[in-house]
Amino acid sequence: METATARPWPDLLRAGLVHALNLGLPLLFVVVPILSFVAVSFWTLEEGQILLIPTLANYRAFFTEGSYLAVYLQTIALSLQVTAVNLALATAIALFIFRRTPRVRFLILMSFMLPLFMSYIIKIYSIRSILGQRGLLNEAMMALGLIDQPIEALLFSRTAIFIALAVLYLPYAILPIYLALDRIPANYLAAAADLGATPGQMLRDVVLPLGRPGMAAGAVFTFILTFGDFVTPQMVGGIQGFTFGRIVFSQFGLALNWPLGSALAVILLATTLLAVALAGLLLRREHVR
Amino acid sequence: MQPLLHLENISKRYGAVRVLEGIDITVAGNEFLTILGPSGSGKTTILRIIGGFESIDGGRLMFEGRDLAAVPINRRPFNTVFQDYALFHHMTVAENVGYGLKVRGRPRAEIATRVAEVMETVGLAAFGGRYPAQLSGGQRQRVALARAIICEPRLILLDEPLSALDVELRAQMQRFLKSLQRRLGIAFVFITHDQEEAIALSDRIIVVNGGRIEQEGAPEQLYRRPHTPFTAAFLGENNLIAGTLAAVDGPLCAVDTPAGRLAATVDGPAPPTGSAVLVAVRPEHVRLDAAPMPGEGLTADVADVRFLGANVMIELRHAALPGALLKVRRLADGSAAGLVAGQRVGLSWSAGDAALLRAGPAPAAL
Repeated sequence: METATARPWPDLLRAGLVHALNLGLPLLFVVVPILSFVAVSFWTLEEGQILLIPTLANYRAFFTEGSYLAVYLQTIALSLQVTAVNLALATAIALFIFRRTPRVRFLILMSFMLPLFMSYIIKIYSIRSILGQRGLLNEAMMALGLIDQPIEALLFSRTAIFIALAVLYLPYAILPIYLALDRIPANYLAAAADLGATPGQMLRDVVLPLGRPGMAAGAVFTFILTFGDFVTPQMVGGIQGFTFGRIVFSQFGLALNWPLGSALAVILLATTLLAVALAGLLLRREHVR
Repeated sequence: MQPLLHLENISKRYGAVRVLEGIDITVAGNEFLTILGPSGSGKTTILRIIGGFESIDGGRLMFEGRDLAAVPINRRPFNTVFQDYALFHHMTVAENVGYGLKVRGRPRAEIATRVAEVMETVGLAAFGGRYPAQLSGGQRQRVALARAIICEPRLILLDEPLSALDVELRAQMQRFLKSLQRRLGIAFVFITHDQEEAIALSDRIIVVNGGRIEQEGAPEQLYRRPHTPFTAAFLGENNLIAGTLAAVDGPLCAVDTPAGRLAATVDGPAPPTGSAVLVAVRPEHVRLDAAPMPGEGLTADVADVRFLGANVMIELRHAALPGALLKVRRLADGSAAGLVAGQRVGLSWSAGDAALLRAGPAPAAL
């Protein structure tokens, strides 16, 4: 009888290295930076100096001082609105693409994904030029005689932020939903029709249930991206567009209050994690093949 | 009597490629009909046309005298068992089985009762709460069958449903399918490329090849009296010897081959003498004599003796038939024990066991 042969050390070394990379890289590039601002959020700011004195004052400030909590709740409401509208739009668009013949599907999908290949600045200025006082929308409505005066509120308003965020992040919702639909085996649809299902029943019983993981992913993407965005509200919202992302940003910039900024950032992170967890919970009953 | 289903002279092309031509099939109300053919023969396309998944370019599809052209998939009075079952993985077994009734708006209680009945029929009474992923291949097969029969269709289409099962389960499912068809008393249209399966299950077989019907008939008729080289080679094994038709006397024919004059039987009218024909003899119908008798049959040299379990397959060569191996099947009862490679033996058969075929284009399966 031979005893279990020990693995030669180069193998062990390689295995160790692989494990170290698997765990180490995310640790180094994701967990450590997050932990660092979590740590800063418990430090004290006194007369512009960060002191290593642990405190909960920064979190207390969120709940009690100024309009942090109010802006936080408004931003959540805004993000949920954008998410709801985009979920409906993206589902409709993904279904539209899904119903085309395979040859044109890719082409249509790519045309919807095109904005992802463009610079953010170009997109934002396009939206501004459309929504502006002498922008496309106002000019068109005036030409059609719908209005006499350009509507000023189109730009630099909550509506403007809403529209801009919805337009910017729509592709992020379309893609996962379409991919989920694309994974539905073709013969499921054949089987449903064979059993007597009308197109509407097929949509209700087969297509939408199987597209649900994609819809959840699309909703989570949209919510996280809109909730954290601090540039769009500034660019199209003006002074109206004071969202939670902008407050966090200003604490690190203008206000130079890193501990408070970190605390608000932790709250932002916790909110997005909560969104992911909620989506996960909703999908827990899904049966993977 | 009007057939349940009639495919009248149906043709189908994909672009410039002709996939079906002159397909004419009738299905009787309670028969087990198999469409048998190799892959690419068009058999699945025929099934998809009946189911409504494919359009047709010529001909008509009639159900009890009614043209089905304008009837969409979900209104056709048939149900399909798909090759990979196509069970909805997000629904339980009971939900899958009851789906056909659900979309017809039947009351919940009725659905539950019918699902229980049908699940009992397929022997899966206790599995309603499971998901398809929690079942074995054979169980999924039964669920697919239950789902197809619950709406009491007049006809069930089965697209190679046994191809994913292992040998033992396959034989078991074959018996189950056959008994289910008898019990329900409805028509089964079964697609397969497996000739043994077709022979074992069917009341009638339609052999398709290259988008055309080669031959149709009862399994035994097809096996005993193939009309084309393709059918002869595709259904079981055959020794095919090419020659010229020399003389005809009723059904009896004499064929001149490089190996000498051979006797064969023709089914139906014989081709004119002098035309190119084939003589087809089953390996199990060939008599083998260790001492060749002059003037009868032909002589050949043993090339190999292969033990196949219940059978022994003896392969032989004939000097005048280069490239062709003649095959003789014997029960493995020791009678072939004395044969060794190189030994010269005599081969003969009764004329009734040799089928005369018109020589067509070289069959693909040879």
